[in-house]
Amino acid sequence: MNNAQQTARVGLFFLLGLALIWVAFETLSDGKVFKDRGYTLIAGFESLKELKVGDEVRMAGVRIGSVEQTRLAGRRAEAVLRIDPGVRIASDATGSIVMAGIIGTDYIGIDLGTTTAPMLEPGSEIHTIASLDLNSVMAQIGKLGTKLDDALGGLSDSLKGKDGKPGLFQKIDTLVGENGEKITATVSNLQEVSAKLNRGEGTLGKLINDPKLHDDLLATVGDIKTAAGEAKTFMANAQSIVDEVKSGKGALGMLVYDEATANNVRVSVKNVRDVSDKIARGEGTLGKLINDDSLFTEAKGTLKKADRAIDSLDDNGPINALGIVAKSLF
Amino acid sequence: MKQINAVLEGFGSTVLLLVRALSYVGTLPRQWHRFIEHCYLIGYTTLPIVAILSFFIGSVLALQAGYSMENFGAKQFIGTLVGLSMARELGPVMVAILLAGRVGSAITAELASMKVYQEVDALETMNIPPARMLVLPRLAAVLVMMPVLAIIGDLVGWYGGALISNYTHTIAIGPEAYFSALRRFTKFTDVMNGLMKAELFGFGIVLVCCSIGLNTRGGPREIGASVTRAVVTSLILILVLDYFVTKILT
Repeated sequence: MNNAQQTARVGLFFLLGLALIWVAFETLSDGKVFKDRGYTLIAGFESLKELKVGDEVRMAGVRIGSVEQTRLAGRRAEAVLRIDPGVRIASDATGSIVMAGIIGTDYIGIDLGTTTAPMLEPGSEIHTIASLDLNSVMAQIGKLGTKLDDALGGLSDSLKGKDGKPGLFQKIDTLVGENGEKITATVSNLQEVSAKLNRGEGTLGKLINDPKLHDDLLATVGDIKTAAGEAKTFMANAQSIVDEVKSGKGALGMLVYDEATANNVRVSVKNVRDVSDKIARGEGTLGKLINDDSLFTEAKGTLKKADRAIDSLDDNGPINALGIVAKSLF
Repeated sequence: MKQINAVLEGFGSTVLLLVRALSYVGTLPRQWHRFIEHCYLIGYTTLPIVAILSFFIGSVLALQAGYSMENFGAKQFIGTLVGLSMARELGPVMVAILLAGRVGSAITAELASMKVYQEVDALETMNIPPARMLVLPRLAAVLVMMPVLAIIGDLVGWYGGALISNYTHTIAIGPEAYFSALRRFTKFTDVMNGLMKAELFGFGIVLVCCSIGLNTRGGPREIGASVTRAVVTSLILILVLDYFVTKILT
């Protein structure tokens, strides 16, 4: 290799080094190494939280792009998403910032949306929803802890007492102290009762321990069941009767539902009332018979006369006697 | 004590060699051809192995980072890890180690041979200082070539990491996300720090290898011993120097 060729190679090599240093400078100073592929979408949020440029965009957990830029747009923050070519997103798909790890790595998760919705055009805005981040959750847990602390404090005060007032434990202690004998007696009674129950004494004890009582109870229940069955049959029959009455069948049905029969009954009742009124007033034969005691008196006198006449009759034939009685009556 | 004395002697002779070589800087334009020849040997011929090694170092770094960082959801930072590691540490150090193994050993072997076969003595007899003719062009060449090799190593390592991150199923970090993470935390000053480290490493390696080569005494067997000593000393020098330079530059 001659000197010229060697020099040229070294020069080329040196220039290559300079060029690479320039490339490194460009790369680390917002220079682009790779051409942008795919298309962009805008995702607006109230806060981007820990989302950074380069974080992933995932659809149903599958990486479909990355966050190209984050910026403020008026009163909200926007993330420009670079979506891989060939991935289409439905216009009703929803994006949210999802926390991937506890060291501040977030990504934008996009759901699939519906199949009928039209696809988002490049540069358009995707619908987003706010999601809870770790700080919000921790803040809520902190509030919960404060409330729990207050509640436990209140409980502790009520148990231990506060401002000189005795607590629940003190009250119980006092109660037990003052009524110790009564409680002991009650407990001994309870022990006695339970012992009796155990021995099968008393009604309750027999109920618990005596199998015959149990069998009787079962038999009684069986009888009740039978009675209930019969009552059911009776009720069914009564129901059929009521149904027949309602349908106007039979005397009762006609009486209840037939207008003509009802009128007849009404007239009959009225007649009966008239007759009873007349009887009450002493009109007519029956009325006089009931109200006028002269007839009774006369009848009594007549019977006495008849008695005497019978007595006076010795051998007169029955026809004569009858003729005499009839004559005295009429 | 004898060993400490030897170390100090080597250190002193190296410093003296540097001073002597620097005193002939004015003669460098007249040694243009030698300078170009050494640039070719140090830079151009070392390029393939530097590229291959850096590519796989970047790839393995991304692979291991992806494997371990996936456990706590930090895969997005693979670009950052590879970028900073290659620029600040691995790029310069690996290129320097390669230089020590490939170029440093060759320099020591060549100078030790010249010393053993009395070529150096002949040069001195002709009033041609070895520091001027044998050391200065090499030092100048390594100063020019080392940043080029280091930046190639850095970029090849970055692209190796990007390639692995993109095409490894378990990592699946695209080039945009990879380089975005790389750019977010890797500054140009980090790259420049790495290039400065590489410059220092390269200069130290060539200086030590020249010094050990020129201080070889004895027969041909000593040539091999000198080469071994030169490479080992260079590796130790790289790592020790790396610590202090990193400490200073951070």
